[in-house]
Amino acid sequence: MIRHLFKLIWNRKRSNFLLITEIFFCFLVLFAVLSLIVYNVRNYNKPLGFEHENVWLLTMRPDTDSTALNRQTLEQIIQRAKGFQEIEHVALTNSNAPFAFSQMNNDLSYGQKKIMADEYLVQDDFDKVMRMQVSHGRWFGEQDNASHHYPIVINKVLQQQLFEGEDPIGKLLPRNDSSSYQVVGVVDHYRPSSEYTAEEPGFFNRIHLPGNKNDFYGELLIRVKPGTGVEFEEKMVKEFSGIGKGWTMEVATLEKMRQNKAKMAKVPMIALAIICGFLILNVALGLFGVLWYNISRRNGEIGLRRALGASANQVYRQFIGEVLVLATFGLVLGVAFAVQFPMLQVFEVESAVYFIALGIAVGLIYLLAIGCAFYPSRQAAAIHPAMALHEE
Amino acid sequence: MITLKNIEKVYQTKTIETVALHNVNLHIPKGEFVSVMGPSGCGKSTLLNIMGLLDEPTNGIVEIDGKPISRYRDKELAHIRNQKIGFVFQSYHLINDLSVLDNVELPLLYRSGTSASETRHLALTALEKVGLSARTKHYPTQLSGGQRQRVAIARALIGQPELILADEPTGNLDSVMGEEIMNILLTLNRQDGTTIVMVTHDENMAQKTERLIRFFDGQQVSDAKTTAYDFQQV
Ligand SMILES: Nc1ncnc2c1ncn2[C@@H]1O[C@H](COP(=O)(O)OP(=O)(O)OP(=O)(O)O)[C@@H](O)[C@H]1O
Ligand SMILES: [Mg+2]
Repeated sequence: MIRHLFKLIWNRKRSNFLLITEIFFCFLVLFAVLSLIVYNVRNYNKPLGFEHENVWLLTMRPDTDSTALNRQTLEQIIQRAKGFQEIEHVALTNSNAPFAFSQMNNDLSYGQKKIMADEYLVQDDFDKVMRMQVSHGRWFGEQDNASHHYPIVINKVLQQQLFEGEDPIGKLLPRNDSSSYQVVGVVDHYRPSSEYTAEEPGFFNRIHLPGNKNDFYGELLIRVKPGTGVEFEEKMVKEFSGIGKGWTMEVATLEKMRQNKAKMAKVPMIALAIICGFLILNVALGLFGVLWYNISRRNGEIGLRRALGASANQVYRQFIGEVLVLATFGLVLGVAFAVQFPMLQVFEVESAVYFIALGIAVGLIYLLAIGCAFYPSRQAAAIHPAMALHEE
Repeated sequence: MITLKNIEKVYQTKTIETVALHNVNLHIPKGEFVSVMGPSGCGKSTLLNIMGLLDEPTNGIVEIDGKPISRYRDKELAHIRNQKIGFVFQSYHLINDLSVLDNVELPLLYRSGTSASETRHLALTALEKVGLSARTKHYPTQLSGGQRQRVAIARALIGQPELILADEPTGNLDSVMGEEIMNILLTLNRQDGTTIVMVTHDENMAQKTERLIRFFDGQQVSDAKTTAYDFQQV
């Protein structure tokens, strides 16, 4: 029977061409949208590597260009911050704090390998503020003050790309000047950009205020005690403004920043899903219409098949089967096209994402086909054989 | 082979009620070649549809091999049609998107337990019987009317049915081609003993069969052996 259906569809390929192309394109769009969604969802389910609840980001912008002066004020502010009992820990960072719209990267090379990695400048207490765990080696500490090298903590992704099997601890990586970075620790994960983005190779570079007098850092991460709210925020900002007169200060919770980032990822996903939904609806209506039309056009054939010994149920199954075969033709083309993405690695995305999306898309297309064929096929099965033969 | 008892067929539409058959009683024994004649609209096709289990009578009993079919469900009726009955229609009813061979194989598609190679072999044999061995790869649209009807006959006989129901099989054909078709049916009847019920408008054709039943307005008006019957007995 299946061979018969394939033959039938194949011989009618000209009249089925439009439907097959429609299914083909529908599949491709579905595949693209699902790839995006699967990619995002998979990322979402991976660990961020830090805890962002109860962490605030204080952004400070001085009103003068005098670094020396600003540095003094900054240190006073940090001192004051540590004095609040509502505040557990604070750490300065670069502008690329978690969930911030800012990025900084740097090339790291080891042996022949050169990797572009995200660079995060952080103070020693950053691990306490973000509640991060070092899985291998150690975090920054006072012992780094005497080091000739710049200590760095790297994430696992970077470790794997740069060192593969080797133990990275203690390894020296040349900097642009004649100095070197030295790896002191490894964290399993650090994915600060957004919950929906993949983890990139990255490393932490130490901010040691006494060690460099010329730099200013305007972002202070603050871990507050749970339950600390806006009242304290106002009080804190007021006091800080008293120290840094004329400075602009802004406080945002990392939770709020996370939501903003999430929105950025979700909006295109939702928009695409809606467009995709309309497209599928369109294809579904087309499919339904064509099937409906086909069945009325094929009354004679249905009557004949019944006369030759097909039961109503067999007619039903034949029509469902035909649609599945049609869908298969479209899907074979579509899958042949879609597998190029993982094979050629068009984007830097794990192949698994594509294969999952491919599987779901194939399943959905078959479901769609069956859904559209269900009612027309039942109609076909209900056709009275004598009437159908009579009409011809 | 088939018996009709007090068959009544009424077509009920919104406005009118058509009595297509009224009080029809018939017995068709195995191996008989019966022709049915009558003016257009007198119920001949309706009769054949009822005999072929494609339609149910409004009243009355249809018996196949002595068993009333009213007890059977759709699936079982389909099975009986597939096993025992072959159909030939005036308008051939071939599937244009299938080759001659595939068209002929159709009935066996609905019969489980026949292998693909066996089916192919049976189809080729059936086509040989109707003299179309050279046209197996053709498509119906590439054939003449007579050839198409021969394909339809091959399709009717591939399943070796005991009964062939032919509704004006020569109705669309000229007399030469009609003659050919008639000869094939006669051979089938005489050599294989297939029971045939044939509706025709052609008196000459009817006279070649054993028995002629005339209908008028849904009722049998005459039922008699033809002269050909005697000829056959000799
Ligand atoms: N599906 C139907 N619905 C309503 N009336 C029908 C239907 N089929 C047939 N009839 C009516 O039943 C009567 C018998 O029709 P039938 O087709 O059996 O005639 P026929 O003898 O085969 O005619 P012809 O020689 O033209 O083929 C006709 O009056 C016809 O109008
Ligand atoms: Mg008729």
